[in-house]
Amino acid sequence: MKQFGMLYRYELKKILKKKLVWVTFFLCMAISATAILADLTGSYYVDGEIADTHYNMFLVDSGYERQLSGRKIDQELLREVAEAYGKIPKTMDGRYTLTEEYQMYARPYSAIFNIARKWSGMDAEELLCWEADERELYERKEEIRKACCDQLLLTDREKSFWEKKSGRTEEPLTWLYHEGYAVLMRKLEMLGLLMLLLTTVCLSGIFPEEHMRRTDQMILCSLRGKKDVYRVKMLAGVSISAAAVLLMTGLTVVLTFGIYGTEGFEADFMLFPSRNMYSYPLSIGEACLIGYGMLFITTIMYGLFVMVLSELLRGGMPTLAVSAGLTIAGMIYTVPGQYRVLAQIWDWLPVKFLSTRNLFDIRLLTVLGHGFLSWQAVPALYLLCCLVLAAAGGRIYRKYQVSGR
Amino acid sequence: MELVIDRVSKQYKNRIAVDRVSVNLKEGVYGLLGENGAGKTTLMRMICGILRPTGGTIALDGTDAGEEAYRAALGYLPQDFGYYPEFSAEDFLFYIGALKGLSRTSARKKTKELLELVALWDVRRKKIKTFSGGMKQRLGIAQALINDPRLLILDEPTAGLDPKERVRFRNLIESLGKENIVLLSTHIVSDIEHIADKILIMKSGRMIFEGTWDRDKGDLESFYLSLSEEREPSVDRGMVKL
Repeated sequence: MKQFGMLYRYELKKILKKKLVWVTFFLCMAISATAILADLTGSYYVDGEIADTHYNMFLVDSGYERQLSGRKIDQELLREVAEAYGKIPKTMDGRYTLTEEYQMYARPYSAIFNIARKWSGMDAEELLCWEADERELYERKEEIRKACCDQLLLTDREKSFWEKKSGRTEEPLTWLYHEGYAVLMRKLEMLGLLMLLLTTVCLSGIFPEEHMRRTDQMILCSLRGKKDVYRVKMLAGVSISAAAVLLMTGLTVVLTFGIYGTEGFEADFMLFPSRNMYSYPLSIGEACLIGYGMLFITTIMYGLFVMVLSELLRGGMPTLAVSAGLTIAGMIYTVPGQYRVLAQIWDWLPVKFLSTRNLFDIRLLTVLGHGFLSWQAVPALYLLCCLVLAAAGGRIYRKYQVSGR
Repeated sequence: MELVIDRVSKQYKNRIAVDRVSVNLKEGVYGLLGENGAGKTTLMRMICGILRPTGGTIALDGTDAGEEAYRAALGYLPQDFGYYPEFSAEDFLFYIGALKGLSRTSARKKTKELLELVALWDVRRKKIKTFSGGMKQRLGIAQALINDPRLLILDEPTAGLDPKERVRFRNLIESLGKENIVLLSTHIVSDIEHIADKILIMKSGRMIFEGTWDRDKGDLESFYLSLSEEREPSVDRGMVKL
């Protein structure tokens, strides 16, 4: 075991001595930080003229959203919203945000107005003419949820699952300011892609470099070379992946909470615009924990995949090529929903799974009559993949023959 | 102590690299000669357990070449010695020491001893990438010795060494051969002539000569060249014995 620790430190040293690793790491950190700050930079234009800066708009809107925090989205609040929006002149042809009345009366309620638009499926013009009705709003929200289930070809069992979850939701929902968590959720997919890139660059050389440098001969004929070195290399790779994902997540969380605040952990996940039909009892804070936990698991599994692939292909460049190809394919192709199994498996690929759409998918994985949500099933599948990959990699490594040089 | 190589062969798709080589090695220095492509490196790799023979067995005192106990007794300097350019000489030997199962204390002690032996102690903290070819080769020799191997396999160990270093190296090998099995291959016949207890000559994958050599028998180089220039050995011709 003493040698294991020494070997582990040297494996880490081999990885961390590479300039490419550090360059890619700082590049990914910079992209991550820029992506968060970019939302607040630049100006907001109306009719070719600067109306405001994004930063100032954020300050104003977040102030209004915080004022509404803790209020139930009920008849009373909806009536206030309707009254406020009713003061906007009807002749503005959709450019109502330019009016003084909007800025003075309606803008403080814009968060609720936008939620009502999402839940009701109405556009802004329709909603402006709509007579506020809490029951109708929640009924429309339920209809949209059911339509979504039909669209995704959910089975009766799955529909019944969501029906039950929906029935347990306490309505009316309470509005809480949650912008920090919403930003974290929106940045998750981008962070996932950055981590796949970083992992590929850092780990694709761990095994091939021994062959390229011809140090493999000395390693494989040494006492610890056949078993321990493989384990040590895998552990070092996993440690680097874990450290990188924790640092990237740490930077993202610190920056996001620093700018947008930490309030709203308890906000219902249905307040998050793209998942307003997800009736599973979940707060947005919990959803963030699930998302970033999944980012961690995905990075580790992808790291193992890259290391095993590199030992199989005996080269860093072929590994980079295959990995980049898979990432691009995942970004470009979408399997049509009618091929249900294939589409679901495709959406579970590391490059796709970290989007909120797939992470909080309403399609279930049914095992022995029990339905599992994707964020419950996929981590288990990924862990299983890790074990299979680690075992397969060990076999490939031990069977390697030094010849033909 | 005995290394038994019994009818060892290595065949690639349509080429036989090593053809039924059988030889028993006891304590002493064995010089392996053969032109390029004769199968020396392939045979050495099989002895080191990093290349699986197509047929035959290799065992040290009954321990098969695939076993951990066999590897514990082995020291190997490959022909194309690889290293980590960013490591210092000291780090490199520590690392190899750990690979060979040495404790931290033993690795430190052996590292100092060997770096002094190969005259690299003064540059122990310098990165290997700054070393000359000869310095790298000396480091390669040091790494092969770090676990006090009972079986030492050296593939072209004198490549890159200057004449003075070569003489020092010969003396080292000679002393190691007194208690251990040392098998070294080289193109330079004079390296072997002076220190090898036994000469092995390979040609086209076969062991065509195995025996002792002394000056009374004439010039080893001339003998080696005469064997190398002969036709391909036929199966029924057998081995040249002197």
